[in-house]
Amino acid sequence: MLYSRQTKARQFMRSKIRRGFLLFIWLVLLALPSAALAEGPTQPDQLFRDASNLISAGDYETALEVLDRIPAPGGTDSAADFIKSRVQKAQLYHALAMFDEADASCHEVLALFPDNIEATNLLDSLAKAKKPKWLLFIDDMKLFLPSLIQGAGITLFLVVITMVISPIGGLLIALGRISGVPPLRWLSWFIIWFFRGTPLLLQLFFIYYGLPSLGVTLSPTTSAIIGLGINYSAYLAEIIRAGIESIDSGQMEAAKAIGMTYTQAMRRVIVPQTYKRLMPPVGNEFIALIKDTALVSTIAMVELMRSANQMFNTYFNVNVLIIAAMIYLLFTTVFTVTFETIEKRVGAYENR
Amino acid sequence: MKTDNEKNPTSNNAPIICLSNITKRFGKTTAVDAVDLSVMPQEKVVIIGPSGSGKSTLLRAVNILEEIDEGTIVFEGKSVGYVEKKGKRVLDSQKNICALRAEIGMVFQHFYLFPHMTVLENIMEGPVTVQGKSREEAHIIAEDMLEKVGLSEKRDVFPATLSGGQKQRVAIARALAMKPKIMLFDEPTSALDPELVGEVFNTIKSLADEGMTMIIVTHQMGFAREIADRVIFMEKGRFITEAPPVEFFGSCMTNTRVASFVDSIL
Repeated sequence: MLYSRQTKARQFMRSKIRRGFLLFIWLVLLALPSAALAEGPTQPDQLFRDASNLISAGDYETALEVLDRIPAPGGTDSAADFIKSRVQKAQLYHALAMFDEADASCHEVLALFPDNIEATNLLDSLAKAKKPKWLLFIDDMKLFLPSLIQGAGITLFLVVITMVISPIGGLLIALGRISGVPPLRWLSWFIIWFFRGTPLLLQLFFIYYGLPSLGVTLSPTTSAIIGLGINYSAYLAEIIRAGIESIDSGQMEAAKAIGMTYTQAMRRVIVPQTYKRLMPPVGNEFIALIKDTALVSTIAMVELMRSANQMFNTYFNVNVLIIAAMIYLLFTTVFTVTFETIEKRVGAYENR
Repeated sequence: MKTDNEKNPTSNNAPIICLSNITKRFGKTTAVDAVDLSVMPQEKVVIIGPSGSGKSTLLRAVNILEEIDEGTIVFEGKSVGYVEKKGKRVLDSQKNICALRAEIGMVFQHFYLFPHMTVLENIMEGPVTVQGKSREEAHIIAEDMLEKVGLSEKRDVFPATLSGGQKQRVAIARALAMKPKIMLFDEPTSALDPELVGEVFNTIKSLADEGMTMIIVTHQMGFAREIADRVIFMEKGRFITEAPPVEFFGSCMTNTRVASFVDSIL
C-alpha cells in the first residue's frame, strides 16, 4: 500500500515537471521570432545580417537592395551604418566587376564624408582594378624593382666572384688529382669527395653558423664566397680533369720532346686545348651557380631571392616573384649567350 | 759502363750518343733487351723491323720519353737521364732531362702539332718557352725553318687545315727550331697517304744531306736505301743485323728472317 501511494505521488510530480518544462520550451520558441519582429525589419543590424545571408546564398541583387535600404544619416540614423552599407555595396559591385556602380557607391559616401578613408582606399583599388593587367604589372615593377635590383646586384657580385675563383681552384684540384705526388692526389680527392658529397646549404650553414664555435667568425659575404667558391671548385675540378685527360697524350709527349717541363706543357699546350671542350659543362655549372646563389639568403645575405622573399611577405603580391624570375632569366640568358660566343671563339682553330 | 773499345770522346770522332745495355720491360714482356747503339756525328741510322720489335721504345728511351729499366745513355760524353741515389738508379731532375730533350729533336708518327697554335706559333713555341728567346728572335728562326721545309705560305694557318704531309713537315720544322744535335724520327711517314710520303721523305733527305745526325725508325725501305749510313734490323727487342745499306740489302739477305721481312714490306 504504502509503496503504491508513494509511487503515485512521484508519478504525479514527474508529469507536472515535464509539462512545465515543455511549456517553457514552447514559450521560448514562440518568443524568439516575435522578439526579432519586435525590433523591426528597418533595423540596420538586421539588414546587414540579411544582406550577408543573401550574399552567402548567392543572391547579390537582393543583397544590394537590402543594403540600399539603410538610409542616409540624419536624425537618429547612424553615419557609421550608412558608410558601412555603401562600402559593402561598393565591394559587392567590385566583386561583380561592375566598376561604375562601385565607384558611384563610393562617391555616395564621399559626397557626405569627403575624408572617409575606407571609401577613398576602395576607390583607389577600384581604379587599379579597372586598369589593364600589364599596366598594373608595370606599377608593381616600379614598386619592387629598386630593391630587387639591389638584391640582383649582390647575386651578380657573388656569381662573378665565384666564376673567377672556382676555375682557378678547380684547375688546382684537377692538377692535384692527376699529379704524381700521392698526398696531393689524396687531398684533391678528399676535397672533391667532401664538397660534392654534402649539400651546399649545409656547407654554408657550417661556415657561417658553425665556424664561430671554432673561433672563426666570418661575415655573410665572406662565408658565401668561401662556400660557393670551394663547392664550385670541387665540381669544376672533375670537369677540368676530364678535359685534360681527353687531350691526346701525344700532345704532352710532343711538348716534352721539345724540352718543356710538365708545368710549361700544361700551361702552354694541354690546358689551352681544353677550353673549347670545357665551355659547355662549365657554362652549365655557372648557370646552376646563378640559381644556387639563392641559398646564401639563408646566411643573412640580402641577394635577389632574399629581397624577393621579403617583398613578397610584405605585399603578398605574386608579381614580386615573377619579376625576380625575370631577373634570374635575364642573367642566365646573358651567360648562356656569352658562353656560346666564347666557345665558338676559343674553338675557332678546329675548323678555320 | 764505358765502351772503351769505341773512340775516345775527345775528337769529332766521338759518338754523339752512346746507348749501352738498354733494357725496357712492360710487365713481363721485354720490349728492348740489352741493346747497345752508338751514333757518330752526322751519322744516319735507320732501324727497321716488325711492329712490336721495340724500335719505337728504343727511340723514345733516347730522350727519356720512356724510362728504361737498365742501361746507360751517354750524350756527348756525359751520362744523362738517370742518377744514382742511395744505390738506386732514379730519373734525373726534370731540369736536366728537359735540357737534354731540348738538344734532341723528335718527330712523331702522328705529328702532334699543337692544334691551338698557328703553324708559326707551333715552331716558335720551343725557342720562346724552352730556350727563353724573344718572340722576335723566335719569329726569325721559325720563318727560316718554315722555308727549309717549304711551307712559308702556311705560316699563319692552323694545323687543322694542313694535309698530313704538310703537318709532318711543320713538325720537323718545330723540332729543327730548337737547333738539335740529333734528330729522332719515329715512323715519320707511317700515318701518311702514300702520295704524301714523298714530300716528307724529301724534307728528311735534304736534312740528312745537310749533315744532321739522325736515328730513323721506319717501315719505308727508301729511308734505309737512300739515307742510311747504317741499317739495323730489330726483332723482339734485339738487334738482329746491323750493316751499311749496300751490305744490308745484299749479303744480309742471306738471313732468312731479314729477307722475309724486307720482302713483306717491298
